[in-house]
Amino acid sequence: MTPPATAAARIDPLEPAPLIVGHPTDRVLNDEIFDPIWNPRRGWKYLFLLALGGTGLLVVGVTVTLARGIGVWGNNIPVAWAYDIINFVWWIGIGHAGTLISAILLLFQQKWRTSINRAAEAMTIFAVMQAGLFPLLHTGRPWFAFWLFPYPSTLGAWPNFKSPLVWDVFAVSTYFTVSLLFWYLGLIPDLAALRDTAKTKLRAMAYGIFALGWHGSARHWQHYRIAYLLLAALGTPLVLSVHTIVSFDFAVSQLPGWHTTIFPPYFVAGAVFSGFAMVMTILIPVRKLLGLERVITPRHLENMNKVMLATGMMVAYGYLMEHFIAWYGGNPNEAFVFANRRDGPYRGIYFMMLFCNVVVPQFFWWKRARNSIWWMWIAAVLINVGMWSERFIIIVTSLHRDFLPSSWGMYAPTWVDWSIFVGTISFFGLLFLLFLRYVPAVAAMEVKELNHELAHERARAAGQGAHP
Amino acid sequence: MSARSFVLGRFPSQEALYAAVRALRQAGRESIDLHSPYPLPGSDEVLGLKRSKVPLIALVGALTGIATAVAMQVWMNAVDYPLNVGNRGLVPYPALVPVTFELAVLFSALSIFFGMLGGLFGFPRPHHPVFEVDAFRSASVDALWLSVETPSAQAEGVAEELRRIGAADVAIAPEDA
Repeated sequence: MTPPATAAARIDPLEPAPLIVGHPTDRVLNDEIFDPIWNPRRGWKYLFLLALGGTGLLVVGVTVTLARGIGVWGNNIPVAWAYDIINFVWWIGIGHAGTLISAILLLFQQKWRTSINRAAEAMTIFAVMQAGLFPLLHTGRPWFAFWLFPYPSTLGAWPNFKSPLVWDVFAVSTYFTVSLLFWYLGLIPDLAALRDTAKTKLRAMAYGIFALGWHGSARHWQHYRIAYLLLAALGTPLVLSVHTIVSFDFAVSQLPGWHTTIFPPYFVAGAVFSGFAMVMTILIPVRKLLGLERVITPRHLENMNKVMLATGMMVAYGYLMEHFIAWYGGNPNEAFVFANRRDGPYRGIYFMMLFCNVVVPQFFWWKRARNSIWWMWIAAVLINVGMWSERFIIIVTSLHRDFLPSSWGMYAPTWVDWSIFVGTISFFGLLFLLFLRYVPAVAAMEVKELNHELAHERARAAGQGAHP
Repeated sequence: MSARSFVLGRFPSQEALYAAVRALRQAGRESIDLHSPYPLPGSDEVLGLKRSKVPLIALVGALTGIATAVAMQVWMNAVDYPLNVGNRGLVPYPALVPVTFELAVLFSALSIFFGMLGGLFGFPRPHHPVFEVDAFRSASVDALWLSVETPSAQAEGVAEELRRIGAADVAIAPEDA
């Protein structure tokens, strides 16, 4: 009955924008995605130098810390955990969106993940690298960091496996390793394609080494597909476990403001929230600069905005519940900590956190806000700020007014704290720029596969239109 | 053992490729493989491949991880150096869960990655005879290829067979090129 002309529109009336613009051939997709590698963008060099300069700050901060000890930081007693742990939790949280996009959305068969998973996974790996620096430096003597691992030492002592800090070592190192394997596995077919399209012998050899000899054999694809799915299935509970264990660092202690059972889910939601905000912060300019508008479409951006809205609401629920339990639980110490957050000396940061994390995402209820590039980028940056403030509030306000008023104190970061923090942002940028320069930012293999799936769906819909 | 060769042929579509595989298998050819830039749906059935061993590798890895983690934690904290923290039990089961879970995931992921790439594929193998064929570079970009591994003496015959069933760019890649 239906005329074939409208058949294409019947595929899915609920999907407004396509996942791939137009009907490109595989060759066109391949060339567009690899173009930034073969023809580097002009601005890249300047951005790289900028990031390199910022990384200098990191080198200075770390050198001063190693030479003079962590006394150069603002940490004190009672605020013994400060910038190092704030930034650790912030960076680790950012990493979580990458695993969510690549693993969880894969298991849910969300096709829109395909164009953004590569960049998001790279972000995960680089963010976890920054995160790892902080606790390492906070040990004070990072050259003894191997004490964290169980090894047969001459002292005859072993790590205390009842301690959440030891769990953290295992969680973060496993997370980094598995993220790296997953990313590399996904990269192999693209490395082979880079090897085969390289114009010079040297490039072909370089990519050839990393492609390991991949030749797209169906006998390999059979195992590869299952391996990729299994790694996604392992990554999904892993990502939940990592921020759960990070939250155990706090929740297992007896401190009011930390000792709550809502911490694990609340931390995981916050991690995904901040991670998506970071993906948006990076991907919006990258999409423009590398000319990836064909494969990263408004539909991808809108979906990510919806995820930010959903996780933002979960975080807001966490804030609400913390205060509710502080009141309902009737524990005077806990009630004090939360009252101190609302009107203590750090209330400015507290209300900034509420504004950025609770108010800002509400605009995403409007379709216009979800589709406005500028608005979503500004919102994403604000959410990054808000999530950093959240970690500041959780850590500093729970510590600075101890049980004994005589031991109360205030915390302020020093220039060394700032230069390490800003330095890690630059180092992250530096690694990401190298990634954009040498590795395809979009998984070409998966986009080609999606392209064929979409073509197949179109053909089937057209066929049904002709014979209803 | 005589020298072996890979006979390569390009096909315009997945349907043509699968039809060619069926024709070759009907004629009794073995060691047929397909090469594509992305996984082709249904290629396992067409080639008659056996079930993948990857899930088994993953399971063995995970079980090894669990056993290692439990043995490590119990032996280190309760046997070799009994660690009494506030007179809690020496083997507190709930506290063993996080490390056990993480090691299960870690061992499983490592065994999938290295077991598949190294064990099943024999990677890294940067030199493969098929790479000697220049046109074959399109196999990772946008073209669908079929390859038959055969004793070099029969290669010409297989090439003729491929041309007859519609392959383009038919080429022979000898093993020791």
